[in-house]
Amino acid sequence: MNRQLFQYHPTIGYKFISNLKTRIQHENGGYLVKTNEWGFRSEIEFNKEKKSDAKRILFFGDSFTAGDGVSNKFRFTDIVEQTLPGVEVFNFGLPGSGTDQQFLLYKEFGKDVECDLIVLVVLVENIRRIKSHYRYYYNEAGEKQIYQKPYFDFKDNIFQLFNTPVESQPLKMEDLPANEQEKVDTGGRFVMARSIVNALGLKEITQKFTKYQPVPEYNTANSPEWLVLKEIIKLWSEMAQAKFLVVPLPLYQFIEETSSPDNYRARFGELKSELNIEIFDPLNDLLAYTAEERRNFRHKTDVHPTNAGHKAIADSLSKKIAEML
Amino acid sequence: MAQSRYILGISAYYHDSAAAIIKDSEIIAAAQEERFSRVKHDPRFPVNAINYCIEEAFIEASDIDAVVFYDHPILTYDRIIKNCATVGEHSYDTFNSATKSILGIKLWVEKHVKQTIGTVGKLGKVLFAGHHISHAASSFFPSPYNESAIVSVDGVGEWSTTTIAHGIDNDIKLLKEINYPNSLGLLYSAFTYYCGFKVNSGEYKLMGLAPYGKPIYVKHIYDNLIDVKQDGSYRLNMEYFGYLETNKTTNQKFHDLFGASPRQPESVITRKEMDIAASIQQVTEEIFIKIAQHARNSTGSSNLCLSGGVALNCVANGKLLREKIFDNIWIQPAAGDAGGALGACYVANHLYYKEKRSIPNGKNDKQHGSYLGPKYSDTEIEAFLDRNNYVYKKYAETDKNELLAKEIDKGKIVGFFAGRMEFGPRSLGARSIIGDPRNAEMQSKMNLKIKYRESFRPFAPAVLREDVNKYFDLDQDSPYMLIVAPVKETIRKQVDTNIEHNADDMIPIINQIRSELPAITHVDYSARIQTVHKDTNEKFYNLIDAFKQLTGCSVLVNTSFNVRGEPIVCTPKDAYLCFMRTDIDILVLENYILFKEDQPKFEEKENWQQKYELD
Repeated sequence: MNRQLFQYHPTIGYKFISNLKTRIQHENGGYLVKTNEWGFRSEIEFNKEKKSDAKRILFFGDSFTAGDGVSNKFRFTDIVEQTLPGVEVFNFGLPGSGTDQQFLLYKEFGKDVECDLIVLVVLVENIRRIKSHYRYYYNEAGEKQIYQKPYFDFKDNIFQLFNTPVESQPLKMEDLPANEQEKVDTGGRFVMARSIVNALGLKEITQKFTKYQPVPEYNTANSPEWLVLKEIIKLWSEMAQAKFLVVPLPLYQFIEETSSPDNYRARFGELKSELNIEIFDPLNDLLAYTAEERRNFRHKTDVHPTNAGHKAIADSLSKKIAEML
Repeated sequence: MAQSRYILGISAYYHDSAAAIIKDSEIIAAAQEERFSRVKHDPRFPVNAINYCIEEAFIEASDIDAVVFYDHPILTYDRIIKNCATVGEHSYDTFNSATKSILGIKLWVEKHVKQTIGTVGKLGKVLFAGHHISHAASSFFPSPYNESAIVSVDGVGEWSTTTIAHGIDNDIKLLKEINYPNSLGLLYSAFTYYCGFKVNSGEYKLMGLAPYGKPIYVKHIYDNLIDVKQDGSYRLNMEYFGYLETNKTTNQKFHDLFGASPRQPESVITRKEMDIAASIQQVTEEIFIKIAQHARNSTGSSNLCLSGGVALNCVANGKLLREKIFDNIWIQPAAGDAGGALGACYVANHLYYKEKRSIPNGKNDKQHGSYLGPKYSDTEIEAFLDRNNYVYKKYAETDKNELLAKEIDKGKIVGFFAGRMEFGPRSLGARSIIGDPRNAEMQSKMNLKIKYRESFRPFAPAVLREDVNKYFDLDQDSPYMLIVAPVKETIRKQVDTNIEHNADDMIPIINQIRSELPAITHVDYSARIQTVHKDTNEKFYNLIDAFKQLTGCSVLVNTSFNVRGEPIVCTPKDAYLCFMRTDIDILVLENYILFKEDQPKFEEKENWQQKYELD
């Protein structure tokens, strides 16, 4: 890649480089990325104080929210802004992040921003990221390197933040203790099998045939990962000075009905009654589209939403947001 | 308000592929693929350069009105078929490889465009401009002239090798063309190969070697190889050339004519190669001047626009200028095939869409100093430096220039990376290695320890525009380093004539101090001049000005920021690697300065000597 997108950040691990204007080559032909002075993918500058009567919504999430694979203006957050009159959207999405990093990002950048609604978009597989202590990153030379990431854990019943400040330099796998080597986020389950199946071009058929469950961390209400995720959402909702909405965003396996969403939906259902917070599940709306339309919600190989995918998410979400505002 | 029109131009598949984009007749961006792929003269479809151009325009690819390719693949194929039919069975290999190349790739340009950017633009199809009209357009439309003679000379494009045209307002009329296999470009390339340099990149070295020799083979060349008419038209004697039947430019008969086999690359350069280089350079200049004279006669114009690879022969350009056939000459800085991408944009804009042309003030060209490539912001540079733990300090502009002026005065060599990267083969102060031209050791140090290239090759001076006449017999703009002019008599120094005329080895000749600016004074007291202008490159101008304030000298040595065989650096990372691999003392990345001795231990991760094949 001609340009790097991210810079080191001691609390979150990394963030977008400020004031970028770049185009990322992609299987769809490429997309435009613009970041603002604060270092977020946005066409507008952010400021703490509201300068108009517009209702301000802050969105937090990972690459699905940040808009990997599409230009800024085609993201669901931007479509929500275009759809709802008198609404201003600040997109704090950070690709590759877990809900833990997004929470830290909120505390660092979003906490003091005047707003009417905070939308936390939890791509359901983010639960996997919150259990990891390290992540992969490609440097300027295209080399895969391991970097620390911050993470939360219950230690002696205390909810604690670790890996802070985040180490700025890359680490070598061989230098990590064996138990820490397992904490490197490898991007999904069954690393070896996945690479073979992907190389053979059998990913979709295999997933369908085996009823692959991408996020088993939701299988029980007391899995350590779910407990951490739940605690983050709880703390965040308590801290928020505005209305708070959690959106569990389904993976394509759930949208295309190759995996059952029952477990993650059950967990978020429990969370809603337990914490008394607003949770909006867009899956029913997305399932209303035809199978062919749903397949076109993601790219041919990249699983991030296409323009059509973002539009469908925005259409679903806009109704809920309009209701809340 | 009317919607803007965006046109994307592409050149590819020969050598030095590139992309360019214009918006409402204004150049937005242009870049060669090699800068991104790090493969010198990369001929592949320029996916990275295209991506960069759209990035700079910051539009969706679907907002591009037209995509234009600089060449007609069908016409090129037609030439190859006819060539092979004429030559017969000897050309089987040529036919085979060309057929694979063209049928395999060129006819699928449209498909490549679609794969690369997801669309072929609003027009719904790719336009094919034509090779020489693209060259002509690349020089006329960005020039400051409403009307001009246009001469384009290169190896070959489709059928043409040399064309004369007349540009008036937004139209170009082709007046005369010389067709393949007769080619001044290929003639020069044949001698490039024969003297042991690489075709399509070593022509520059042959030109640099020429002043060391005596033109004793000129008659030999005219008597045997080329028949030139008074109007500059010419015909090659194909008995001496190999490119019809093989992929070599010369054949045994050519070698016999000069009494030996071609010089082996990297072997010692002898007096013979010097004399041959001097001879073909003189022949080229004489033909070039005749062509120009004919262009003047047939158009009546007092302006000349030049393009095509031969227009990069800045020695010939300088001679042409001094002949005063034309009052004004403008040369496309990306005169080779890369510039075809820009020309293709203009062909679509003015000849297809019939867009009217506007010249802002009749003086300035529209090339923006040829600073048409990517720029990196302070935040990007700082992120890069921090991520890698490199040691740096950020300076205010004035403090930075004062510091650099002092260091250069002390003999330090600086890698200077500032602003948008240059389009074309020359570094013009955006991606440059710079040093003190007064320093007698600078040429050999830069050649041997920085560039790792042949010691005979001269370096170019970058001089403040207003001071050019103090040092050189030139009093006009030469912003693109495309004109060679004599160093002023007043600053020349006497040399040992015994060494000059009798040494068979080049080193003692090179080491003679010829002027007060020895590092940029070539063996014949010439220099390849870049005039530096505040309005097109303020940062570089201010640096030279700071050097002038300190030393009284308003000249710096300016050479491309790369090592031999490497494309000029594009990104901060490329610049840092080149800095650490060579004896460059200081790296400047915009306002960030890095000293070599402060840097962490450098771990070489690639075999770059092997990666960057010698040119």
